Amino acid sequence: MFLRRLGGSGAPTDPEQLLDAAREARPATSSGPSDPLVGLLRAAAAPPRERELAGEQEALAAFRAARQAGAPAAAPRPRRRRFTAGVVVWIAGVAATATAGAALAAVRLDQPDERPAPPPAPITGPVAPSPRATGGQPDRDGASPSRGESEAPSVVTPGAGVGPTDGLAPTPPAPESSAPVVDATVQAGPGNSDNTADRSGLCKAYLQKSERQREKALRTPAFNELVVAAGGAENVMAYCQGVLAETDPQWLAKHGPSTAPESADGQVASTTDS
Amino acid sequence: MTSELSQAVEAAQAGDEEAFRFLYRSLQPGLLRYLTALVGADAEDVASETWLQVARDLPNFSGGEFRAWAVTIARNRAMDHLRRQRRRPALPVPVQELSELAGDADTAERAGESIGTEAALAMIASLPPREAEAVLLRAVVGLDAETAGRVLGRRAGAVRTAAHRGLRRLALLLGERAEEEAATAATPAPPPRPRTGPQAPHAEPVDG
Repeated sequence: MFLRRLGGSGAPTDPEQLLDAAREARPATSSGPSDPLVGLLRAAAAPPRERELAGEQEALAAFRAARQAGAPAAAPRPRRRRFTAGVVVWIAGVAATATAGAALAAVRLDQPDERPAPPPAPITGPVAPSPRATGGQPDRDGASPSRGESEAPSVVTPGAGVGPTDGLAPTPPAPESSAPVVDATVQAGPGNSDNTADRSGLCKAYLQKSERQREKALRTPAFNELVVAAGGAENVMAYCQGVLAETDPQWLAKHGPSTAPESADGQVASTTDS
Repeated sequence: MTSELSQAVEAAQAGDEEAFRFLYRSLQPGLLRYLTALVGADAEDVASETWLQVARDLPNFSGGEFRAWAVTIARNRAMDHLRRQRRRPALPVPVQELSELAGDADTAERAGESIGTEAALAMIASLPPREAEAVLLRAVVGLDAETAGRVLGRRAGAVRTAAHRGLRRLALLLGERAEEEAATAATPAPPPRPRTGPQAPHAEPVDG
């Protein structure tokens, strides 16, 4: 606006216009074609090159992971090492509860009966009602662990329709029962078996990285799920090769590391650690 | 452009992966170039940290300019990165690394431009940090002065002034470069190799 002269070169150019025109596709018309400053800005704002978008798969994987963490109401991960992963789950959980509570309930109702066990995600959901339903326990008892511990076994009568849940997940007031609860969550945990499609995306993003980046990536929340699924960071490579051999063997053959064994029947020996 | 973006933001918040991909493709190139000026070769790492946080916090994004929001995240991640780095032995100025990347002279020739993208970015990165950031946010990321000011925590007028100063300095640098090229024009060797030597005195630590 007020700056009409630029660099003493004498070219009367509005710098704001120059800055705005840098990203436009057509050549800037206001100044002569030979103005090197225009060329420089246009070069700096040139259309994207292929390698600048190399992180797209990883970003999409992060997007999926963030949504996934929110969808099945965030069961606690058994091997959660990093606090940030907890934060991700928590934030996504809050968001999902706030925006999609009703939809979530509907989805759960519509799910085909793949698992007879109750949905694992809300631990307190299916477990808490059982003592109340059977024993007619007042609600306040659930709050005091000492009373709950002593009364729960005596009051709850077996055979009242809680048979399977009784052994699998005892009443929450009993503190020593925490280990079985976690185990149950692991077996039927969200995405531990069903979501190999998303896993393969994560795996692709993982395998595309260089050695140095892989190590770093496994410490990020986006890939935390892979670490959990593989049962440890050192197993991720073998796990991913297994997953991709099932879901997308062609991709694996093309991109996979040279250590990937050729599998005719879709099964990969899981002994190839990196 | 902006309305297209905000539509995509809404769709991505509702879970549309393609919309998120669109956001990524629209923003990532400019973001990466901006980050390269801030943290040099680590820009890709910082960019992926940024997208991680964008993906995670997108449900909480409550409107406004998406690009400003994302660029602010990127800038904070870059500053964190530089703080971490400062505790380790000092690294060379980003411009050094940039000049190694500046081998896209043929791209520049094909596009009919006088200078390649990497060389142009290296030249902008050699400006004083405030000017470099203002020029990059305005011209490369495509923010207007008000939005860039919000990202940088400064008034729009200050951003304009910094960008104008930066442009003036760039024009001078380009003049020097042209003179040097004229001096070596007799040699048939590939001429558009960018010269970063004369700019070295301008380089300063990025976060002041």
